[in-house]
Amino acid sequence: MSVESYLEDRLDRDVDGEKLTAILVFMLPGLTLFAIFSVGPMVYSAVGSFFTWNGFDIGQFAGFETWVATFQDDAIINWSNLRALEYPMGALPQNLIWMLVHVPLSTLLGLGLALLFADLRGRSVLRSMVFLAFTTPTVVIGLVLLFVYDPQAGIFNELLRALGLEGQVRNWVQEPQIAIYALIAGGVWVQTGFSMLLYSSALAGIDPALLESARVDGAGRFRRFKDIIWPLVKPVTAVVVIMSMIWVIRIFAIVYAAGGPSGGPGGVFSVLGLEVYQAAFSTPIEYSKAMVVALIELVIALPMAWYIASMD
Amino acid sequence: MRSVSKYFDGGDTVANYKLDMEIDDGEFVVFLGPSGCGKTTALRMIAGLEDPSDGEIYFDDDRVDGTPPADRNVAMVFQNYALYPHMTVRENIEYPLKVRGVPPEERDERVAQVAELLHIEDQLSSDPGEISGGQRQRTSLARAIVREPSVFLLDEPLSNLDAKLRLEMRSELKRIQNELGITTVYVTHNQEEAMSMGDKIVVLNDGTIRQVAEPQELYRRPRTTWVAKFIGSPPMNLFEGANNDGTVQLDGGNSLPTTAETSSPTVSLGVRPEDIALSTEPPDTDWTVPGTVKTVEPLGEYVLVNVEVGGSVVNVKVSHTDAGPGDPVHLTFDPEDAYLYDENGELVA
Repeated sequence: MSVESYLEDRLDRDVDGEKLTAILVFMLPGLTLFAIFSVGPMVYSAVGSFFTWNGFDIGQFAGFETWVATFQDDAIINWSNLRALEYPMGALPQNLIWMLVHVPLSTLLGLGLALLFADLRGRSVLRSMVFLAFTTPTVVIGLVLLFVYDPQAGIFNELLRALGLEGQVRNWVQEPQIAIYALIAGGVWVQTGFSMLLYSSALAGIDPALLESARVDGAGRFRRFKDIIWPLVKPVTAVVVIMSMIWVIRIFAIVYAAGGPSGGPGGVFSVLGLEVYQAAFSTPIEYSKAMVVALIELVIALPMAWYIASMD
Repeated sequence: MRSVSKYFDGGDTVANYKLDMEIDDGEFVVFLGPSGCGKTTALRMIAGLEDPSDGEIYFDDDRVDGTPPADRNVAMVFQNYALYPHMTVRENIEYPLKVRGVPPEERDERVAQVAELLHIEDQLSSDPGEISGGQRQRTSLARAIVREPSVFLLDEPLSNLDAKLRLEMRSELKRIQNELGITTVYVTHNQEEAMSMGDKIVVLNDGTIRQVAEPQELYRRPRTTWVAKFIGSPPMNLFEGANNDGTVQLDGGNSLPTTAETSSPTVSLGVRPEDIALSTEPPDTDWTVPGTVKTVEPLGEYVLVNVEVGGSVVNVKVSHTDAGPGDPVHLTFDPEDAYLYDENGELVA
């Protein structure tokens, strides 16, 4: 099927040939940029991942060699630790765990704060304070986390001491089995601001008469939330969830700032982004591995991006 | 519910100030007033969406202020209908039943009943976004009726409909209210709606009650000049004048005899436009005022003549007139149709 006949099927009936040509002409600059900077690199990595590389020079065709090697690499998936559910499990499982914990938490917290602030005096100040984390560069967030969890000066350990939990005081980002959650907490802090903001505007869009009507109809607080508010903010939930999933799959700076290029002691909180960076920019340069890991990231993120883009 | 009595004493300076009223069981009461007069706030206090800052509200003998709206057994229809957009018409109507834990079979039955009563049987599975304004209005009414509330509250329910539909829904609403006999409070700024539907009209302005009366009485005997000027289209004419024991010295020069007694030095005489007769020849009566025709507006049903009398304009409704702009005319009226108001604007007789 040619591009023209495909478009003709999908466009309004009254788009004739002449109009179609015009549409294509106007789309050309955008499509060109998209092709050069998005599609091109994707195809380049997809192809490149099947070759061996000498530094940045392409070598011989290697088939699935790099793919197999990557999935056997302990830094990407540590199969034996994964079975024992012990960290480090490798960047891919760790990244997915991050997603599993981070996304529901930040979504629910965002919704909770949005609901809490909705009728509060001074809500704009409170909202700005929560949203501030999202506007802060993620590298800074990572550094702040290091300060927060510092065993001597960190506020978190100080809090534990104040609560009488001296025994729990530790360097949270160096503790292999806990470190990832300590960092996820930082990610949640960042993302909550974003989801709160989206939910706040969704809540503001709900006609107050609907909630009053539900009150008169006899619905209590919980029923009003379940029957009226939740269904009405559902489309926003889809956006919030997918945006934070994409945010997590791309996560890099927080982890890098908190644990360096290795992703913490033994890579206990390493993520895919970090592995791409390491493979591509630290010796020995493993360019094809970087491409494979980047493609794994892409495969996870692409369907979500597609879903978001096709939402009405 | 045997006898609903509500008494509020809203101390809120902005919205309502010391409202006192009683509404009988099964009565159709209309709160009428210009926008911002506090009528909606009064309604919302009955619903429980707003707490009175002072005073008490009773349903029968039970004090309800402080009771949440859910426990008052009131149903409310909002100006914009407030239909839940993510539910079908059926789900909207059955929602109050569902919340109250009515079993599904009974819910279906009652939804079917009200849908029939309101002629929306065919729309039950549609979304609110797909149906017309009138159908939305009916759905919103159905949702209120289905609960069989003891009080039915309507907040300008017809203002979003076009003129023809409004007329239709007006009689429809009245029919339903008659059929169900539910005590109804209806808020509107449209006096036609108020006059045609209300058993009793409560005229509100600046948050206070100006008059509570049946429609005819309200029209015939407005208790204050404010109500007189608010009700009627065009409203009542007021002739300003001085009170000389037994006669009223109008600003226009004429002196009219009056039987009403007041010590007020300045008074005004109110006469409805349709109670004034227009003649070019001086009539043989004391109750006449000379004036000059300013404009003549033939409106089909009647002719509206604006007559200048002593610097102010008087509206006269006649069925026919030969007078044109600039013509000197005489306005006459029956003393029975004239109301004397004292200097404070209160009706004397």
